[in-house]
Amino acid sequence: MSFVRTRIETVGGAVVDASRAVVELWQVYIGTLAGVVRGGGRRGELWRQLHAIGNKSLLFIVVTLGFIGMVMTYEACLQLARVTGDFSQVGSQYLRLIVSDFGPTLTGLMLATRVGAGIAAEIGSMKVTEQIDALRMSGVLPIDYLIVPRFLASLVMTLMLTVLGGAVMYGAGGLTAQYSFGVNPSLFFDLALIRPRHVILMCVKAVAYGAAIPVVSGFCGLRARGSSEGVGWATTAAVIGSSFSVIILDFVISATALFLTGGDL
Amino acid sequence: MSAAIRALGAGAIRIAEEVGGIVVLTGQVLRALVPPRIDWRELVKNLHKMGNRSVPIVVLTAFFAGGLMTLQSGPFVKKLGATSLAGWAAGYAVLREIGPILIALMFSGRVGANNTAELATMTVTEQLDGLRALAIDPVRFLVVPRVIAMMIMLVALTVIGDLVALLGASVVGRALLEIDWSTMYFSFADNLKPYDFLHGIYKSVAFGGAIAMSSCYFGVTVRGGAVGVGKAVNAAVVAAAVSIMLLDFFITYLSG
Amino acid sequence: MTAALRFTDVHKRYGRREVLAGISLELAPGGRLGLIGPAAVGKSVICKLACGLEAPDRGMIEVLANHVVGKRESELGALRRRIGMLFQNYALFDFLTVANNVAFPLEQRGGMTAEEIEAKVAERLRAVGLAGSEHKLTAELSGGMKKRVGIARATVADAEIVIYDEPTAGLDPVTTQKIYDLLAADQARTGATVLAVSSDVVALAQFVDEIAFLYRGRIIYRGDAKTIADAPDPIVRQFVRGELTGPLEAA
Repeated sequence: MSFVRTRIETVGGAVVDASRAVVELWQVYIGTLAGVVRGGGRRGELWRQLHAIGNKSLLFIVVTLGFIGMVMTYEACLQLARVTGDFSQVGSQYLRLIVSDFGPTLTGLMLATRVGAGIAAEIGSMKVTEQIDALRMSGVLPIDYLIVPRFLASLVMTLMLTVLGGAVMYGAGGLTAQYSFGVNPSLFFDLALIRPRHVILMCVKAVAYGAAIPVVSGFCGLRARGSSEGVGWATTAAVIGSSFSVIILDFVISATALFLTGGDL
Repeated sequence: MSAAIRALGAGAIRIAEEVGGIVVLTGQVLRALVPPRIDWRELVKNLHKMGNRSVPIVVLTAFFAGGLMTLQSGPFVKKLGATSLAGWAAGYAVLREIGPILIALMFSGRVGANNTAELATMTVTEQLDGLRALAIDPVRFLVVPRVIAMMIMLVALTVIGDLVALLGASVVGRALLEIDWSTMYFSFADNLKPYDFLHGIYKSVAFGGAIAMSSCYFGVTVRGGAVGVGKAVNAAVVAAAVSIMLLDFFITYLSG
Repeated sequence: MTAALRFTDVHKRYGRREVLAGISLELAPGGRLGLIGPAAVGKSVICKLACGLEAPDRGMIEVLANHVVGKRESELGALRRRIGMLFQNYALFDFLTVANNVAFPLEQRGGMTAEEIEAKVAERLRAVGLAGSEHKLTAELSGGMKKRVGIARATVADAEIVIYDEPTAGLDPVTTQKIYDLLAADQARTGATVLAVSSDVVALAQFVDEIAFLYRGRIIYRGDAKTIADAPDPIVRQFVRGELTGPLEAA
């Protein structure tokens, strides 16, 4: 009987902790928005973050999305060859998927790993070396000083990298289709199926991911406790939290879009 | 201009250094396996730790990923009236690509990063030096069990995750697109071959190795205190992500 | 005259451990109080509570006649600028140079021109013996130098109450003496109230007027600093004299 009770306590405790964490995360998010409205970010820091998030992730995004683009095209063509042998739609369908889903989501996942870990590591180290407390002693709000610049930079950069990543995926896919399956580039690079709703979907997703990643990672960084293990733990939590947020947001946004368009994506 | 080239060169050298270092560590791990004198207690402890930690997040992720695949392919398939293919469309992508890659990425974030943080903290607090002073080889004692545990765990998680993803695909198919359970099930059974499943498993073995080696390497080569640990974890997950994409590409091409 | 710092029945618990079990103390303006006790007993916690960096579970804390408990971050900003704090691990900003670290509180407070800030920073760095290190990054400094930068930053805004958490831990005896001379000179100049936590009782005793002993969550003794070694309480005596046997439990 007490075994069951201990189990229930453990699960109950975990649920309470998780709920408290979600509430705090929401507070950080609201605090960040309030900080943006207040104009709390520092101009110089914004540029530094744009560089840190954008420039430094450039090669990473190009490489990872390029390779995955090649793989996806290869697999798709392989299946088509087996079933219909008709490659006329491959390019346009592929582009539709890239724009409305895979472009933003894969970029988002990659950035969740790279940028999420980076932000949590930086802010987490500051937390365990008491620099956050020192900031507060000078009357500075850590959310304004640290998270808001990263938030704004991430919004901008995630959108730009999504477009770039999508382009790289498409281009790499086209090359693969041509070299492995002889698909004519002019047939592949076909924008016919792209409609405004796809572009809107891409922007909505990119902005959502761009907002979620710095808030979740900054939150994990601010909660770091202890010394080195605390930083390691914060970074781990940030990567997981950001990645999972991307997937959940993707699901929610896609499902909503499905309802709004009556099943016509 | 020259500053940009210098930065590019420095970056290239750093990447070469890291790749070289990981290769060297891999060599050490392989040598420690012959003859296989593994610390079983460490191995079991790590299996338990890594498995316990990652099952919830992998299951959740896989469920939603499977659902996403149905959301993407479902409407298209329905419009063509080919609902019997719904399972194939979602399932194929899941088993061969989305499943192994997404699960590997989540694993890298949950277990790989954590592992790097642990090893890095041990290095920073000089525990590795302490082991060496006791004539215990840290690679054999710490790294090898973790590498083996991570590879085994990722394969197991991919199997579980694949199944959960197919379940997620079915649930979303039923709930949002009104595709019957049985339609989905037969669609899977008719169109997905065991080879598709195995293809994904081969990949997860490779991914597991990449994540494990990257994670351990950056853990034991950490420098500086708390800041260094953060940087090590960062580097480890980035390297793992790139390796996963690269390996996925090569395996897909090589196996056709 | 109202107290500069007042704790009233403060309790603080971390998880299952009750760190502070009813702390009450008062510090008059201009007074200098030292705080000693075994390791990890809660001395740093008291420092953090005094600044509102953490909140107690129960009890009242008043700093410079302002209530600190239950206030939001944005409300505490103005009060915190009147407090100077030296953190145990220096907490220097590793992304700023030495000069910018010391200038930070002044820049955030506003109301001073860039030249005024620069002059003040230069004066502080000279006082702590680090003139010429303005452009160094914290990574290039030794432990003692970091401590001194921390002291410069804590005292640059001429705070009304200054809290020093282990100002001389890990420093050699000569540097320790220099640091305490410096702290004494500063306090004589500004008349600030001082709370100093330290494990080095002998050096601390020359700097402060009174010493309080924190043990098992309570202040079990508070008396004149100069006669601390002959305190009536046997636990305090054993701690201060560094004796191995006595009522003090092994840590």
